[in-house]
Amino acid sequence: MLQVNDLHKKFKGTTAVNGVNLYLGQGESIGLLGPNGAGKSTTISMISTLLTPTSGDIRFKGTDVFKQPDVIRPVLGVVPQEIALYEELTAYENMKFFGQTYGLSGKKLTIKIDEILELVGLTDRKKERIKNYSGGMKRRINMAVSLMHEPELLIMDEPTVGIDPQSRSHILEVVRELNRRKGMSILYTSHYMEEVEKLCDRVYIMDHGQIIASGTKEELKSILSSEDTILIEAHQKSDQFIDQLNENGRIQQVVKVDQGYKVIVSKGEDLFADIFELANVCQVKVKGVHVQTPTLEDVFLHLTGRKLRD
Amino acid sequence: MWSVFNLQWLRLKREPILVLSFITMTILFVFFIGGTQGEQTITVQTFSDQLTESELDEWIDDLNDGNHFEFEASDRATIENQLQMSQITYALELNHDHYQYLVGQDSFFINAVNQHVEQVYRTKLRIREMAQQFPDRSIELKNYLTIESESLANSVSNSNEEGAHIVSGMTLYFALYTVLFGMMNIAVEKRTGTWDRLIITPLKKSSIYVGQLLHYFSLGVLQIGICFVIFDQLLNYHFGDQYLSILVTVMAFIFASVALGMLIIALINSPQQLQAVIPIVSTAFAMLGGAFWPLELVTNNFLIALAKITPIYYGIKALKDAMLYNARVIDILQPISMLLLMGVLFMGIGLNLMERTK
Repeated sequence: MLQVNDLHKKFKGTTAVNGVNLYLGQGESIGLLGPNGAGKSTTISMISTLLTPTSGDIRFKGTDVFKQPDVIRPVLGVVPQEIALYEELTAYENMKFFGQTYGLSGKKLTIKIDEILELVGLTDRKKERIKNYSGGMKRRINMAVSLMHEPELLIMDEPTVGIDPQSRSHILEVVRELNRRKGMSILYTSHYMEEVEKLCDRVYIMDHGQIIASGTKEELKSILSSEDTILIEAHQKSDQFIDQLNENGRIQQVVKVDQGYKVIVSKGEDLFADIFELANVCQVKVKGVHVQTPTLEDVFLHLTGRKLRD
Repeated sequence: MWSVFNLQWLRLKREPILVLSFITMTILFVFFIGGTQGEQTITVQTFSDQLTESELDEWIDDLNDGNHFEFEASDRATIENQLQMSQITYALELNHDHYQYLVGQDSFFINAVNQHVEQVYRTKLRIREMAQQFPDRSIELKNYLTIESESLANSVSNSNEEGAHIVSGMTLYFALYTVLFGMMNIAVEKRTGTWDRLIITPLKKSSIYVGQLLHYFSLGVLQIGICFVIFDQLLNYHFGDQYLSILVTVMAFIFASVALGMLIIALINSPQQLQAVIPIVSTAFAMLGGAFWPLELVTNNFLIALAKITPIYYGIKALKDAMLYNARVIDILQPISMLLLMGVLFMGIGLNLMERTK
């Protein structure tokens, strides 16, 4: 359905996207995972025909979207990262206007608005102006507007940034339903790996404008099949402790996390004694040490040496 | 195109404060400036230590024989007290054959007052001298030369030039302000993402631009229309009978203003920066173009040349011709063509720059 071939984008000497290749099949859901500034939004802008690439091409059902943007635009829905709504208007008016731009009118338009409002759970707030909405409600309407014309391809650019857990889980639920029940193809970008893990069949990991790994979640996690992830739970964060861990030849990577430290080591390495000894030297009180099943976050850490949200 | 056009009106309906305040300001400015300038007089406190009361009154009667100055009799003690308290800035002391001023602070008006006083003194002293030379004859001043003047336009409307200037200058200035401030919404839309959201709909980009620009165009024309109706009905300003010329001028001016807005937004795309730039640009254009004072007062050739690159200059020129001299559209083709040319240039450059940024 969608093919991105060797896509490059340069802005005044800075390469934002550097040779990206990806494909998305009919009814498939793929995730584009990467930290801020990885080039995800630029890639999405090019797929949406908002930006012209420096080189490379994007094909939708075999047609070059830059030569014929009319092929993709009527069936494309984009949920932008920012709240792209007219704040002085109500949710209903915003949906009505964008519905009209896709040729909807009359009863069909009214029914569609009601249906989508029901889906995002905002039927009873439809007459309120957007500027009076909470952040989570704005995000839900931001998505609702993109669904007015039942797009075949839905691109979501970090749709859950900065919202409460309830709205977040509602949005994720809606996306899953659109994909599974309605067969909508979804390209989902996020730097929350748990969202991508939950929603997407395949994942592309992006960093510094390049795809550094891709595949199904299992395939990506298998990159770490020869490694273990150890979580060291501790209250204090000590740079000296990190330095000591890094100096240990058997430890591949160390990073600070909320609960303490995460360490990647070769599979089967017994490092418990070393960890406690180093913690003792650095006067770090260790509450627990766990060997974890690898996550996509661990894969990203392994590939880049950084956390997703660095 | 119409969905975009209607959307902008709906947004305006929800937040009309900006436009309403500019309409109100236009009316207030015209009312206060236009209402006071026509009958403005300069009051001059006058006293004398030498003249008797009747002689002083006689001088004051002669000095008051004009429309622009009002000389009031007073005494030295009162005037000195008023000068000390800064209640007046200067006063006139009259004597038999000379006069002088008591000046507390420099005043812009002294030169004008002095011209008048000097003329009255010269005339009166000359008559007195003649009377002394020919004591047996009665001496009086007669006007032997009478000048009749006629305007080139043979049907001058009731509107006076000063009033027409204030009405056209202030209305065009605030309309430019409204259009430019309104068009800042385009920059805001680009920042919030609604513009991009529209671009990826099946709507053509040209329809989006036309819908937006048509809205600001009709908003500007409507604002001027409302102001002119209020001036005509409530403030009794007369616009002559060349309504078509006025309408064509207004439309050409608003077209140039919308195009100027496009150029500014293409050059400066941050709404915060635009908030600072728009008042500067519109006020500078209004000052240079003669919205605040007639350009006949400006003697600097460079400033006059600058005036000719502002749409307001041509707008005021065409409107005054239509209102004062009942000029037909064909008579004001030159300023209208200049406005249209500016519009095409600004719009062309603006659109090019705006689209090149991608």
